[in-house]
Amino acid sequence: MDGWILIPIFLPVIAGAALLAFRRGTAGKNSDTGMEDGMSGKAQPESAGELKRLHLLVGAVLFVSALFALAAAWSGERQVTLFYLMADIPIYFRIDQVGALFVTFTSIVWVAVGVYSFVYMKHEGRERQFFGFYLLVYGVLVALDFSGNLVTLYMFYELMSLTSMPLVLHNRSREAVMAALKYLFYSMCGAYCGLFGIFFLYKYCDTLTFTAGGTLNLLLLGENGGLLLVAVFMMILGFGVKAGMLPMHAWLPTAHPVAPSPASAVLSGIIVKAGVLAVFRVIYYVVGPEFIRGTWVQTAWMSLALLTVFMGSLLAYREKVFKKRLAYSTVSQASYILFGLSLLSEAGVTGALLHSVFHAFIKSALFLTAGIFIFQCGKTRVEELRGIGKRMPKTLWCFTFAALALIGIPPASGFISKWYLAQGALEANVGVFGWLGPVVLLISALLTAGYLLPVTVRGFFPGSRAETSKEKAENELGAQAGQEDAEAVREHGGEPALGMLVPLAVMAALAVLLGLFPGALIEYAARIAAAVL
Amino acid sequence: MLDFVQNFPCFSIVSCMFAGIISSALKGKGAKILNLGVLLAVTVMSALTLGYVMDLGESYIYVMGTFSAPWGNELRVGVLEAAMALFFCVIMLLSLMGGQQKLQEEVEEGKQKLYYIMVDLLMSSLLALIYTNDMFTAYVFVEINTISACGLIMIRQWGRTIEAATRYMIMSLLGSGLLLMGLVFLYGLTGHLLMSNIHQGVVHIVEQGEYHIPLMVAIALMCTGLAIKSALFPFHSWLPDAYGYSTVASSAILSSLVSKGYIFLLIKIIYRVIGFDVIQQSKIINVLFVFGLAGMIMGSLSAIKESNIRRMIAFSSVAQIGYIYMGIGLGTEAGMTASVFHVLSHAVTKSMLFIAASGLLQASGDSTDFFDLTGAGFRNKTAGAAFTVGSLSMVGFPMFCGFTSKLLFARAAVDGSWKMLPALIVLAVSTLLNAIYFMKTVIRIYTPLREPAREKRFRKIGIGEQPMNFVALICFILLNVVLGLGAEPLVALLNNGLKMFA
Repeated sequence: MDGWILIPIFLPVIAGAALLAFRRGTAGKNSDTGMEDGMSGKAQPESAGELKRLHLLVGAVLFVSALFALAAAWSGERQVTLFYLMADIPIYFRIDQVGALFVTFTSIVWVAVGVYSFVYMKHEGRERQFFGFYLLVYGVLVALDFSGNLVTLYMFYELMSLTSMPLVLHNRSREAVMAALKYLFYSMCGAYCGLFGIFFLYKYCDTLTFTAGGTLNLLLLGENGGLLLVAVFMMILGFGVKAGMLPMHAWLPTAHPVAPSPASAVLSGIIVKAGVLAVFRVIYYVVGPEFIRGTWVQTAWMSLALLTVFMGSLLAYREKVFKKRLAYSTVSQASYILFGLSLLSEAGVTGALLHSVFHAFIKSALFLTAGIFIFQCGKTRVEELRGIGKRMPKTLWCFTFAALALIGIPPASGFISKWYLAQGALEANVGVFGWLGPVVLLISALLTAGYLLPVTVRGFFPGSRAETSKEKAENELGAQAGQEDAEAVREHGGEPALGMLVPLAVMAALAVLLGLFPGALIEYAARIAAAVL
Repeated sequence: MLDFVQNFPCFSIVSCMFAGIISSALKGKGAKILNLGVLLAVTVMSALTLGYVMDLGESYIYVMGTFSAPWGNELRVGVLEAAMALFFCVIMLLSLMGGQQKLQEEVEEGKQKLYYIMVDLLMSSLLALIYTNDMFTAYVFVEINTISACGLIMIRQWGRTIEAATRYMIMSLLGSGLLLMGLVFLYGLTGHLLMSNIHQGVVHIVEQGEYHIPLMVAIALMCTGLAIKSALFPFHSWLPDAYGYSTVASSAILSSLVSKGYIFLLIKIIYRVIGFDVIQQSKIINVLFVFGLAGMIMGSLSAIKESNIRRMIAFSSVAQIGYIYMGIGLGTEAGMTASVFHVLSHAVTKSMLFIAASGLLQASGDSTDFFDLTGAGFRNKTAGAAFTVGSLSMVGFPMFCGFTSKLLFARAAVDGSWKMLPALIVLAVSTLLNAIYFMKTVIRIYTPLREPAREKRFRKIGIGEQPMNFVALICFILLNVVLGLGAEPLVALLNNGLKMFA
């Protein structure tokens, strides 16, 4: 029995649930404070010792579960059946190459961002709640990556939506609640589209257990092929919601600005990938790529993905709120991955998998930077970041490296994945998309440079005095108090604490280093691609 | 030779009925204790019966009195019947437990006795509907059921409930009337009242090709009658008031048991009286299918518009009953299994929702304003958790029983007939609509309240204050999760029962 692979799933889930429940426990004992905590929504400031214990506990749980997850992922194929939902539908975990890949980058990002949050969440408060859900989501994500059939995947996909929602509504302001609702509705709509498809696949597939190359039974299908194509398209659209594919991308730019920065980082870097994983599993492991090759589904999918790549970049370029800009960037980048998958060619799939990994690190790094800007000097808009590099050069350097990687400037990592994506488009026999794809990718890369690099450039080189003095004049129009605030911020805002800087540096370094030494990873991704096609 | 266990169904019906009669001579407290005792006894007896029938592997017939078929009166007990009886008892116990406190507050001291009498009678009639093998007995108990249900609605006396009870009475009597007329037709056609004998007669008629129209009319009358009584759209107008304003135990019982009793009778008529094949050939089943679909959408739409949370839950019942009829209307074994499973899952979820909602309202100064529920989940934690679980189950979230029933429905719908697409699409749309109003409420009850002025009016309800309520809700949650995760044996049992049923 490989029962121990359940440890990285259940340990964080139980620990997270215990953290959340324990809060209730104290509320019961001391009803007055509990009341205040619940009713007024104001965080009860936790004492320093309590916080330290909390951090220690969360850190230990995260570390141990991540170790177990990695051990499970890299020690060969393992499987375990939890129980049977129906006679022929088990809740079943099996670790294969894709699952191992996803679990690995999920775990790395999760631990790094967790360390970062120990510092960052001081300013958001309600840490017990945050870390409770943070652990819960980690367990659910590991389960999602390990799931061995479509129904298990769906179950944890829904659980992930539900448990990650509290991360979005963390500060419980009106905007946060509305954003969380929007997030939940989009996710649920998407998931139900997916479920709708699962019902069909259940009927027409030999098994819903993931099998490389698909399990569709063409004999059973008979004349219902057209209908099944609709169902498959619904599934792509539905699971694409999580990956921010047009027309259902709107939850990303709403949810990110209100969520605490570490939550945005994992939301963008990891949870978006859950949508990618679901689409990947459906197309390559259940339906089979041959079924949709050359059909209208493939065409529509490619068009939507390309459109999203372009529109996402364009919207990001026009956006002035920093975190929103990054959210739109995620919309665009996640569709790079979906485009790679839609090509149904080996290079395309390789590129998509590589980009999943790279984007996870890069986008977490970018959001962590945004978090540092907010934490250290409360700046959320891009134009406020002028001259920020003078005060925190290390942070901005990390940002710059990550940005370069995302744009795809060699030798940083983004270049490699985009190279494979473009190559995939050229070698896949997809007509007009063969050249249109690379062109759109290029334009989007230019736009990416256009929306990320100015932050660096203006950050290090704030520009001529004339311009700054004009801004100063504008500032003076504002109230005296505002100026004092700005003064205070200026004094306060230096380089962040090591606890925030180190995870950021690790992420940024990974983004660059994976581009310098990509050999093993490429080989691994190519092996997966060869297996499913 | 009769095994002693075989007597239990008869004992259950009779003991409930006598408990009602004896209670009328007792005081409130005594009636309550008697009611509890009888319900517990019936639960145990049903469980034993279930075990016995599962061992036996087939259903048995229990002859009432000395006349044998085709004149005498019979009970017929199979796995499905025993399972239903057990289940109904458990839900009844939990609903009463959860609604007890509210009952004491809302109902005058002198009338509480009456309430327990009504519950006893209702239980006895439900059990009779489940077990009986005689159409006329079924009709008689339908009437008893109606009258006691009216009593349950009216027990909290204010304008709204009286109006609701009157409405319920009128609609229900119309339904019973139609059922009776259908019954008369069938009697005229076949000359029998025992279900198995009617079935033989019907098969004979169909083989001969005679009396096609009268037979169809009879089926239509009975289906319509029972559809009205179980609040299938568009006959649901009595439901929101009846569920929304009566005392919470009544709402829970009415929504989860009373309407389900009628649906069970309908399934019985379909399987045992008319015969599944005949029904399938008639187009009536398609009509049920279409109205089921309409109910799924319209019920949810009305629920979205509703701001009174209890009426909202009531409207959601309309949608859920639509699901059940949709499953019946599919006209397949799988559809029927899904429907029966949904009867159970809806009963568990809906009674929990009603009790949880009442707990939340209590923590919000019993206001009907939706916004007063803000933060209620923090003020009454058990109710908040139970409401969340119930909502997720209704929305069809994996792990809870609502998901299992949806899975079963979908599995039944994907069979390639023309009903597949409409069923799946409406299932998807209705799920989304459900998500809109249930998630809206869940978020609302967990949104912290920031207005001190309002806060003063509300109070916090701890677990210690309502221990019974707490226990009931925890049981409901557990039942929900068990049905959601471990549905497989139950589905097998229901399948088995349905086979035994015909």
